[in-house]
Amino acid sequence: MRKGILEFCILSIIRRGEAYPSDIVEEMKSANLHILEGTLYPLLTRLKNAEMLTYRWVESNSGPPRKYFSLTEKGLAFYRELETTWKELANAVDTLANKSERPV
Amino acid sequence: MKKIININFHSRVIPIEETAYDILRKYLDNLKKYFAAEEGGDEIVNDIENRFAELFSERLKKGATCITDDDVNDTITSMGHPEDFDQEENIKSSGTAGNTSYTYSEPNAEPEHRSLYRSENDKMLGGVCGGLAAYLRIDSSVVRIIYALLILGSFGTALLLYIILWIVLPPKSMVTTVKKRLYRNPDQRVIGGVASGLAAYFNIEVWIPRLIFALPLIIGFLASIFRHVWFDYDRGPVFFTGGFGGTLFITYIILWIVLPEANTASEKLEMRGEKIDIESIKNTIKSDLEGFKQKASQVGDEMKKQAQQFGTQFKNRSTEFSRNMSAGPSPRNGIGHAIGVLFRAFFLFIAAICTFALVMALIGLIFTGSGVLPLKNYVLTGFWQNLLAWSALLLFLILPVIGLLTWLIRRIIGARKGSNYLGYIFGTLWVIGLISLLSLIASVSSDFRTRAGVSEDLKIESPVNGKLIVKMDEQKPLYFESDWMGINWHHNAPFFEVSEDSLTMNTVRVNIVKSSDSAWHLRNEKMSRGSNSGIARNLASQINFNVQQRDSLLYLPAGFSVKPNQAFRNQQVLLVIEMPVGKRIRMDRSLDDFHWFNINRNSHDQGFNFEWDNSWDNSDNSWESDVDYVMTDHGLERVEKLSAPGDQENKTEDQQEDLNKKADSQKTYRYHKPEMKKTSKSVTSDSNKDIEDGSPLVLFMQWS
Repeated sequence: MRKGILEFCILSIIRRGEAYPSDIVEEMKSANLHILEGTLYPLLTRLKNAEMLTYRWVESNSGPPRKYFSLTEKGLAFYRELETTWKELANAVDTLANKSERPV
Repeated sequence: MKKIININFHSRVIPIEETAYDILRKYLDNLKKYFAAEEGGDEIVNDIENRFAELFSERLKKGATCITDDDVNDTITSMGHPEDFDQEENIKSSGTAGNTSYTYSEPNAEPEHRSLYRSENDKMLGGVCGGLAAYLRIDSSVVRIIYALLILGSFGTALLLYIILWIVLPPKSMVTTVKKRLYRNPDQRVIGGVASGLAAYFNIEVWIPRLIFALPLIIGFLASIFRHVWFDYDRGPVFFTGGFGGTLFITYIILWIVLPEANTASEKLEMRGEKIDIESIKNTIKSDLEGFKQKASQVGDEMKKQAQQFGTQFKNRSTEFSRNMSAGPSPRNGIGHAIGVLFRAFFLFIAAICTFALVMALIGLIFTGSGVLPLKNYVLTGFWQNLLAWSALLLFLILPVIGLLTWLIRRIIGARKGSNYLGYIFGTLWVIGLISLLSLIASVSSDFRTRAGVSEDLKIESPVNGKLIVKMDEQKPLYFESDWMGINWHHNAPFFEVSEDSLTMNTVRVNIVKSSDSAWHLRNEKMSRGSNSGIARNLASQINFNVQQRDSLLYLPAGFSVKPNQAFRNQQVLLVIEMPVGKRIRMDRSLDDFHWFNINRNSHDQGFNFEWDNSWDNSDNSWESDVDYVMTDHGLERVEKLSAPGDQENKTEDQQEDLNKKADSQKTYRYHKPEMKKTSKSVTSDSNKDIEDGSPLVLFMQWS
């Protein structure tokens, strides 16, 4: 998967509300995006270290407290940036792919 | 049939098959290694472990009795192996070109983003070496040792660089990427496995360190053969092998104590580790340079940004600083940090100097030990005193130095296990050394307890012209001449000559008193110390000091010899010349070569005072060399003093010269006069010119 797309996916999930890593995995699976879970955790930590994400501990009734991630201001800005890039890219790809014929 | 164990995995109790546990642990270890270089790597691994625990507990909730191999393997497959992450990352990084929107920090495992920091966790002083090691990806102990050598080699300039780096570099917590430690290798040991451990560490053949350690032995062996065949007297190789070999021997012992043995497989792997050689350092720097090229384009933008940032930061800082100054300097930032560093560096510098001095003293001790050794036999008597002396030397003096070195090296290589018993052993042995030193002092001092002497009257005839000249008998050739470190030992030491079988002393003093009758008398007072007066008197009577008279010349021997079975007990010869009133006497300058000293026990009976020339100048019996004296009713008087200042015409040129000399010699104290040394030397060189002027080799030849 291209760099940035995974981040974009993760950020868009978290943007909708606080998310727990396992939830993110489940949600991506349900969207038919199969990733190695092992790549998710480093990404989350890196984003957190880059101050794009923040987290808080939430008590859970089964097992130890869980880390819930949410977006920061910086993260939101980064998300917007990614979004525009993605839309531009998608548009460009769309335009190219949907052109049925080459203008002669 | 499989064994099931219960593990506490992230606050969950999980029953797991032992084999499954092994697989899991191996996988997690791999992950840890993979993320070790990354900032927040621990956190990542922690999160992943947490996920594992969660998945396992879910599985258990669904009714599984325990976690099996398959469960673990399934989870690992969905999690992915580190190698798979690598692939993903590679694909990712191939897509970075042209995309500038990713500004968050990359893991510093990628070489183009590594930069120099001070290490916060791998540090001894300021973490500069640790940071350098992480930067170059080599073992920090190697960097430290090289840096220490650099400091020694550059006479401290490198130390200044260290302090500057300490101040300038930002601190950062980092995990060392190189897992390599110095171990002793138990598989290829001859004595302690030190040499083979070193060989494994530096990736060289085992025989190289072995040869280095064995070299002094071989050289010593060969040298001893050569000595016996050709140069029976050549002492050079003995000193060389003695000092050099001794240092290496101590190094080996210290390494043996300090280094842990590589017993487990992982320790053995750590022992070999990643290859550390010039090649790997070159590779790191090369990849760095490539990264630098890519970086260069970005640098322009960054510089602009940073300059702006710096401007605002500086403004903030300066206000903060002025606030801090009123509240006392904070070591965390700015100038406060620099001051803290400088202070610490100063104290470390002092400590380093102390250590260096101690080590140098030890090396000096080893070097000069063989030179001083012959003296030992004259002071110490019996088996017990010798034993005490050795134990005091080894345990009280050398042991602390070894201990200090051990401690230093343990810190440098970062030994993990602090073994307490080592400290106890060192402490106990040192106390034993202290006790033996004290009992040795007590024992030796009891040998010096009493002083006794014998007096013998010698025949002396009145000189014909009424004037006696006292001279040192220099017919006897000098056996030994050494000019070591600018000090001429022959002329300044009380021991005229020291060797294994005889000690020549020159503690001789000449006193001149008024004779009770009209004849000359000569008395030889021989004195010695001993544990009781009988022994002292016996030792005194063994002193052989033959005075010879040839008309008006009285010849004194250059010294008297003490045999080892007699022992050194501060033997002295006091020659008393009784001269009638009106007679003249002149003491030759050669008599200045005699050195008189007393060893006195102090009032508490616990030690000695060494007294050189006690009451020489105050005594009535004092005289100066090369001055004519005359005996009067009131005592000894200078000739020119008697001839009153008014009688100018009486003064001969010779007397005028004497007066000048007197004025010279009164300026300075007798035994600190440099010109005296010079003159006494010139006296010697007159009679033994070839020895004085000869090269050391010639001297050795003559001595043999």
